[in-house]
Amino acid sequence: MSSKSEQLPSVTYTPIVRPRNWSRFLSISPAILFLGFFFIYPVVLLLGLSFVDSSGTLTLEHYTRLYEKAVYVKVLLITLKIAGWTTIFSILAGYPIAYLLSTVKSSTRNSLVIWVLMPFWTSFLVRTFAWIVLLGRHGALNELLLALGIVDAPVRLIFNFTGVMIGMVHALMPLCVLTMMSVMENIDRNLVSAASTLGARGGQAFWRIYFPLSAPGVAAGGMLVFITSLGFFITPALLGGARDTMIVQVIIFQIHEVLNWGFAGAIAMLLLASVLVIFFFYDQLLGLSTLSGESTHEHKKGVIGRIGRWLGGGVINILSYLCEQGGILIDKLTPLRTDRKRRQGSRTTLWITAMTVIAFLCIPALFVIPVSFTEDGFLGWPPVGFSLQWYEQVLNSPAWAAAASRSFVVAISSALLGMSIGVPAAFFLARRQFFGKAALFAFLVSPIIMPNIIIAVALFYLYAKLGLVGTNMGLILGHTILAIPYVVITVMAILKNYDHRLDQAAWTLGANKWQTLTRITLPLLSAGLIAAFMFAFVISFDELTIALFVTGGEVTTLPKQMWDDALMRVSPALAAVATLLLAFMSCIIFSTEYVRRRGLRK
Amino acid sequence: MNKNEKKIDKLDKSVSRRTFLKTAAAGAAVAAVGFPAIVRSAQDLKIVMRDPGGPFAPGFAEAFYKPFFEATGIEAVGVQGQHEPTGLIRAMVETGNYTWNMSHLSKASHQSLVNIGYLEPIAPNGAGKYLSQIPESLRGEYIMGTDVYASLIAYRTDTMGKNPPKNWKDLWDVKGVPGLRALRKHPFDTMEAALMADGVDPKDLYPLDFDRAFRSLDRIKDDVTLWWTGGAQTSQLLKSGEVDCLFTWNGRAQVAIDDGAPVDLVWDQALYTFEGWTILKGAPNADVCREFIEFCAQGEQQAKFTPHIAYGPTNPSAFAHIPASRAKVLPTNPEYLPNMVSVDSDFWGEHKEEIGERFNAWLLG
Repeated sequence: MSSKSEQLPSVTYTPIVRPRNWSRFLSISPAILFLGFFFIYPVVLLLGLSFVDSSGTLTLEHYTRLYEKAVYVKVLLITLKIAGWTTIFSILAGYPIAYLLSTVKSSTRNSLVIWVLMPFWTSFLVRTFAWIVLLGRHGALNELLLALGIVDAPVRLIFNFTGVMIGMVHALMPLCVLTMMSVMENIDRNLVSAASTLGARGGQAFWRIYFPLSAPGVAAGGMLVFITSLGFFITPALLGGARDTMIVQVIIFQIHEVLNWGFAGAIAMLLLASVLVIFFFYDQLLGLSTLSGESTHEHKKGVIGRIGRWLGGGVINILSYLCEQGGILIDKLTPLRTDRKRRQGSRTTLWITAMTVIAFLCIPALFVIPVSFTEDGFLGWPPVGFSLQWYEQVLNSPAWAAAASRSFVVAISSALLGMSIGVPAAFFLARRQFFGKAALFAFLVSPIIMPNIIIAVALFYLYAKLGLVGTNMGLILGHTILAIPYVVITVMAILKNYDHRLDQAAWTLGANKWQTLTRITLPLLSAGLIAAFMFAFVISFDELTIALFVTGGEVTTLPKQMWDDALMRVSPALAAVATLLLAFMSCIIFSTEYVRRRGLRK
Repeated sequence: MNKNEKKIDKLDKSVSRRTFLKTAAAGAAVAAVGFPAIVRSAQDLKIVMRDPGGPFAPGFAEAFYKPFFEATGIEAVGVQGQHEPTGLIRAMVETGNYTWNMSHLSKASHQSLVNIGYLEPIAPNGAGKYLSQIPESLRGEYIMGTDVYASLIAYRTDTMGKNPPKNWKDLWDVKGVPGLRALRKHPFDTMEAALMADGVDPKDLYPLDFDRAFRSLDRIKDDVTLWWTGGAQTSQLLKSGEVDCLFTWNGRAQVAIDDGAPVDLVWDQALYTFEGWTILKGAPNADVCREFIEFCAQGEQQAKFTPHIAYGPTNPSAFAHIPASRAKVLPTNPEYLPNMVSVDSDFWGEHKEEIGERFNAWLLG
């Protein structure tokens, strides 16, 4: 294990050689045991059905059907296309916000982060219907465009691919922004200044220094968005057109409507296999090392790796060359008076771009608040009159209160459990080189590749044996399975730029391992840890499929309560719930921020 | 968690009670359906059933759960599950883990479970007094229809009032009857509609000629503004006028109408089917469930859910208890029925998977 730093500013350190014993696996074993028992074991049993026919004999008929009927591969490709574009748009739009957030002072950042998180607190159902109302034929945007005379006839913004993109990028971009931000926070700004001192123009310093350092955040954020969007089906179903069918919808049809679980398993295997192939190329091209703590195994790369590195380096060279030439051109056109003035200009552009994207993230939330006071029985724009009836309906119903409190308990518990299992696993993956690292990584993130419906059915059979059906514990464990991958990916990304010499310095100064961990490492990683916790929390808080299966009935969570309420129509009562949630979550974030700042002052 | 343990306890207790009932009260339980007269301490008896939630919850509570408890002392609890919970029921039956004793299912979902033998017969000893009042087409060996719903055309009267679609042919006739259209992204009912639009007589629909149906759909494919996937979506679309006419379930459109949307329904050639109570195979207290089903078969009880849901009661005697203004919007209204078309769920049971696949391929093609 040699350390190597061929790119300029990457952190160099020598891992401490420890004796080969089992205790080194202590940090990864909870994750392996937990996922092995609650995820792999039941899911393998269920997917095993894809290899038997209805009479119970071994067969490949389900797989030959996949091969013979082009429709499943087509749906898979559509799913990958939607997930891919969602990822690209989320990164492009999210990067400026993340960059801005990581460079402003922390109080400004925290108040901006609240706005970035807005999509998290408006449940997926309310959010999607908000888009239908806002972007529809008689929606607010079209009315505005018509009134201004920009268009003659309403523009079709939803019920097509554009609609899918709007809905999905909006829902998933916060994942990407928070991950990139937590990585960018740990980038030493002096490095960019140093590059400028050495003669690099702004753009050049950015592409050659800053961007490569922020790459782990981009890679991790992109990966989170990509695999999360593979499992989306309600948003594309409600906002998409005839062709926007996701593979999960097809699996659900097999599970529920035709009860052909063997074939459902085969489709799930197709999805899993193709995502693993994508992972393989991703690893070869960019290296999972863009996520993990080291860049040492680059020399092991095969042809694909070399091509990837060559391409990546080439792109960065081109971009920085363009920036340089552009800069020279601008200098010639508008002779430079002071250096500061130019930087001010780019800063303004950054602010405008970031605030535009933040506005996009907030629109549905800002729509939901006024609509919750409407007198009308439907979500509609503009709201009609003023009434508190929807709040009365929600606040007077014990079912809503019970569902909300259960959702909070379950989400907090599964986030905590997911953190306590996922963080050590991320440390293990980020700090060690070993054979099969990529495979272990794939194993840890596979729960979010596997469609929730498969996990839900599989868990039911396991829970039936353990007596966990219908219990909060069952729900918490189920959501923990989903939380672990989010925690692992996010924490691995921040560990990439973490300077391990700080730990070593603490040890040299006499701190023991525990003190180093609690006083040095964790506080420095706090932004990433908070982001990881937030993701784990939201994943549980918005999850419907597993909740429906595991709870069966009498126990209700918030998304399930909303789903039940929306059988006939999405009433403004759901907007009232979303508004209450928004207010509540924002209060929590504000008050923790207040307490933290007071703590700092003392 | 406590609540659940208690629930499971109760279920266990009721299993022993069930054997008790069987030996002691024997046939009495089946015979003695003159409900208020049943004398027995049933305080700790409870049956749990999945219902569709939304407005069904208060509707069924008033029509069935509360009066059943008052009549028998047996608690009937409705809980909401996913819309087509067949997968969950299969899991419950296979693991013997009954969160529910019964479930409210559409006829088509019930058919999938019957095919694999996962439902209990509702009246193994012959239909009781009230159950036999329900027409045989609205019940089966494993299901008692509680409500009938129609798949029909709903249109905005403000934009299409002068030239409204009067049948499926008009819905397909984009030039003659202009307006934006929406169809359901599912082969159920869409196939039937496509065939009738192509001129097939409603009497000769089954067996469905799928090739012809897809050819008919080809004609309209490019003119469909959107393909909806959930019922709640259609009421929103009608209310906001996103499209001018669409194919939907009458209850969903009614929600928009009740809220003041200028919408009208086309009852001619409307397709109807029903949904109702089923008992999970091997569920505890199956006899109590049967008693409950017999109770729900009463027309007078069924009438009580109609203010909440615009679906038609299955016992014709219910209409004696329903005001004429409400009866006008219910699919089982004797005025509409002759011109409506009954969906053949048995036929669909055999073709659902094949056509589901073909329909998806067609959409993408």
